[in-house]
Amino acid sequence: MLPDDALERLIDGSKKIGDLCKKNNVQQWEILALQSYGHELDIEAGKISLAAGGGDGGYGIRVVENGRYGYAHLVDINSAEYAINQAQSIAKVSPSIEGFSLPSNQPTDGVDGLFDKRILSLGPEDLLQQADSILSEVSSIDERAIVTGGGVGVSATAGVLLSSEGIEHHGITTSHGVGVQVSIDEDDQLTSSWQGESSKQLLTPVPDCIKSSVEWAQKTRDPISIDSGAEDLPVLMTSEGLAPLFSVVVPSAIRGERLARLESFWSGREGKNVMAKDLSLIDDARKTGAKASSSRDAEGVPTRRQVIVESGTLVGSLWSTRDSAKLVGEGKIDHAESTGSASRGGHQSPPMTSCSNLELVSSSKSNTQDQLLERMDTGYIVNSVMGAHTANPTSGDFSVTTSSILRVEDGDIVGAIKQAGLSGNMAKSLQKDVFLGDNIRVSGGSMYLSDVLFMQGLRVNPA
Amino acid sequence: MVMATSSAGDVFDNSRRYLDQTKIQSALGMASELGASYAEVRLVAITDSSVATRDGQLERAIPGQEVGATMRILADGAWGVHSTTDISSIPSQVESTVRLAKAVAKRRGINDKPVSLAEVPIIEDSVHWSPKKDVRNTELDEKLHHLKVLYENSKDDKKIASVICGWHDEHIHTEFLSSEGMNRSWSFQRSLINATVTARDGSDVVSYRTRHGGEGGLELIESCDLGQLGSNAMTSAIRLLKAERSPSGKMPLVADRDLTGVYIHEALGHPCEADLVAAGDSCLDGKLGQKIGNEIVTVVDDPTIRTGYGAHPIDDEGLDTKEKCLIKNGVLTEYLNHRETAHHFDLVPNAGARAQDGLHHPLVRMSNTLIRGGNHRDLDELVEDIEYGVYACGSRGGQVDTGRGSFQFAAQEAWLIENGELTNPLKDVSVSGLTLQILKDVDGLTTDSRLAAPGFCGKGQTVPVGDGGPIMRIKEALVG
Repeated sequence: MLPDDALERLIDGSKKIGDLCKKNNVQQWEILALQSYGHELDIEAGKISLAAGGGDGGYGIRVVENGRYGYAHLVDINSAEYAINQAQSIAKVSPSIEGFSLPSNQPTDGVDGLFDKRILSLGPEDLLQQADSILSEVSSIDERAIVTGGGVGVSATAGVLLSSEGIEHHGITTSHGVGVQVSIDEDDQLTSSWQGESSKQLLTPVPDCIKSSVEWAQKTRDPISIDSGAEDLPVLMTSEGLAPLFSVVVPSAIRGERLARLESFWSGREGKNVMAKDLSLIDDARKTGAKASSSRDAEGVPTRRQVIVESGTLVGSLWSTRDSAKLVGEGKIDHAESTGSASRGGHQSPPMTSCSNLELVSSSKSNTQDQLLERMDTGYIVNSVMGAHTANPTSGDFSVTTSSILRVEDGDIVGAIKQAGLSGNMAKSLQKDVFLGDNIRVSGGSMYLSDVLFMQGLRVNPA
Repeated sequence: MVMATSSAGDVFDNSRRYLDQTKIQSALGMASELGASYAEVRLVAITDSSVATRDGQLERAIPGQEVGATMRILADGAWGVHSTTDISSIPSQVESTVRLAKAVAKRRGINDKPVSLAEVPIIEDSVHWSPKKDVRNTELDEKLHHLKVLYENSKDDKKIASVICGWHDEHIHTEFLSSEGMNRSWSFQRSLINATVTARDGSDVVSYRTRHGGEGGLELIESCDLGQLGSNAMTSAIRLLKAERSPSGKMPLVADRDLTGVYIHEALGHPCEADLVAAGDSCLDGKLGQKIGNEIVTVVDDPTIRTGYGAHPIDDEGLDTKEKCLIKNGVLTEYLNHRETAHHFDLVPNAGARAQDGLHHPLVRMSNTLIRGGNHRDLDELVEDIEYGVYACGSRGGQVDTGRGSFQFAAQEAWLIENGELTNPLKDVSVSGLTLQILKDVDGLTTDSRLAAPGFCGKGQTVPVGDGGPIMRIKEALVG
């Protein structure tokens, strides 16, 4: 999949741009080069509809001069000098940040499990066979079930980070992903469920998400009617149902900049209780084989395992080099330094502070689903929501809709309901009476969450 | 190395062609010789610039130049696709892409129809929608001046914690060649300015977002009263601090044109996309010609509305864009389609194919979608006979399950309606419903229909869109 010399050519291209920076007397510079190759299949209406392959990549150039920074991105290396000039001219009009300079080279160990050689050797025919297996598995579980959307994909990305401060970091990562929307359309009733799974390592031919997707399309059939109107009841959010909301609301609240600027619902709560006392929140960029792991962040600072909330108390926050210098310079905070939490959306983005692999854990004994339902007594299980992106990351408030919701009475599932509104405030819901399940899964990008039972703070409004 | 190379590092321009026509024509011919029934290469070169300020200070400015191309090959009734930033490598990928398509075709079941394309006129030309003021000639200082006006007018209250302003402009240049002889190039620009105003009172924190933009250059930004835009955003943010939590339940809903636009985009537009219909993932399957909404509802999708953020002159299969009437007086009249789905459903192609950029293949997408105006004079007339309901304004986005026909959208701010009057401000209002029910429940529209704030639509790929309409009343919606 990846040409043998892909990395060498990226290094060579980065060095050429670095030389141009030196020629242009740029004080400090940093080059990010990325190159991805991959194959993917689309599945529609129960069949493979398209096979695609290819590659893309480019360079991002950050220059820093007297605490001022500029950035430009490009694909064509012949445009590098033009891009450097653009970045320099932007730097000239940018505000100077006292103490801001590009990070120096600090030693660090690698993180295991980010590359799987087996993925590199996968070709389109392998993906076609995997898609065949998935389609066949879906119909073998339930002959009414059809994969109406989704696909399979693999990719390999070569990356280089080169800076004037001595950082020369490079490597190759791999990725394998599967996602399916399974629908059952029978007797004028259509139910469906989307489930996906992705990993830096080779997935099994038919990952667990396939069976789960069929099961949720089955479980949500023949809905019962609930005439109660809106009710404040316990809700068990599955990992898949919670992760989209959690990933919109929580990562932005733990960014140091937002905390210091009073833009987080946890601003002013440092050292104070923000979650149930048995809960901890950890941002672990060094987790073996995890989605957002790396040995260095997007500006070359060694990554770390950072405890954000410990036993319910807010004890940490996330910083990049520029944010920390800026907020200290502005007097918003006495001291801050990079926590190795810079990330980028690709070569087109400069480094921004962001979480990596965010884990919610409990010091209490984890619970099986049966134990959680027994504790819930009467309430709901929610496996997916619509409109998670409309949640308000500033306040933590959300009001979303779900069609994957089951009613629980006396600890037993009594049936699905067709549609319901689900609203609440994520920060307040996490404050007390939160119970975690025993099966942590990665969902919503890089959120490592188990099923979570919220005993208070959520309102369900059946349609 | 999969990266573009060119002879010069200059800014992309209209007069230049990036595809080597001779080599690409030869590659397309080779695809035919290898058994392809159709092949195309589409290149997109984008020159863009993003600027962000925080509390009036430059946070970041990012100029960029990106180029990518996608080759689609139809062989034995199935698609093979190759996308790359290394434009010169395209001819070398023809054989493998034909092989890919044939491998997909071999897996087609006996009941599955092979892909065919509806016939279209073959055109060779260049179409350039020139802006009055080319954004590529706009200096950073000028962009910062406009962002400053927006900021200065949105910060003047001690409860304002921060104001983040943003700018994005892009010049999009596309070249399209096909084995049928299509040879077109087109270009246009988009410009956008926005602000997110955060207000804080004690431990209560809220934010309000405002946007202005569309197809065009600097003139679009200059035509906007940025002072008023900023001032309105500040007023809304302050008001949200005092707003109450929304009531929950079924009740009458009145939506401003922003929300009306999001509603029609999510509830109707997506289920009207013929690729979803063909995939068995639309509640509108088999409903063409049927009455699905109140007769006051007429909906169009029109990429030729030049001010709209979803405007574009030619679709990503090389067809001239045009207005599509999706619903006429409550009757479903048209699906949005591309050539594959037009053939599948035996419809006239209506140029609904869009791709995110040169590295993605086209899907059926919306452009500028809006409900036509009705007969009500204004907001007052729409709310006067509502005893208890909600007036919701501004969009925080929405989502739809096209198969089930259920949707959700969220408002930025809202008011309670009590006895025909707007009373208490509300926050975190969301609305959900079922497409086939709620289109029937639209029972009031003001006369003035126009596009609202620009937006983005995600369907695996993200594309800019415009949505809008008049102020709309729904007699019963699930509010949460």
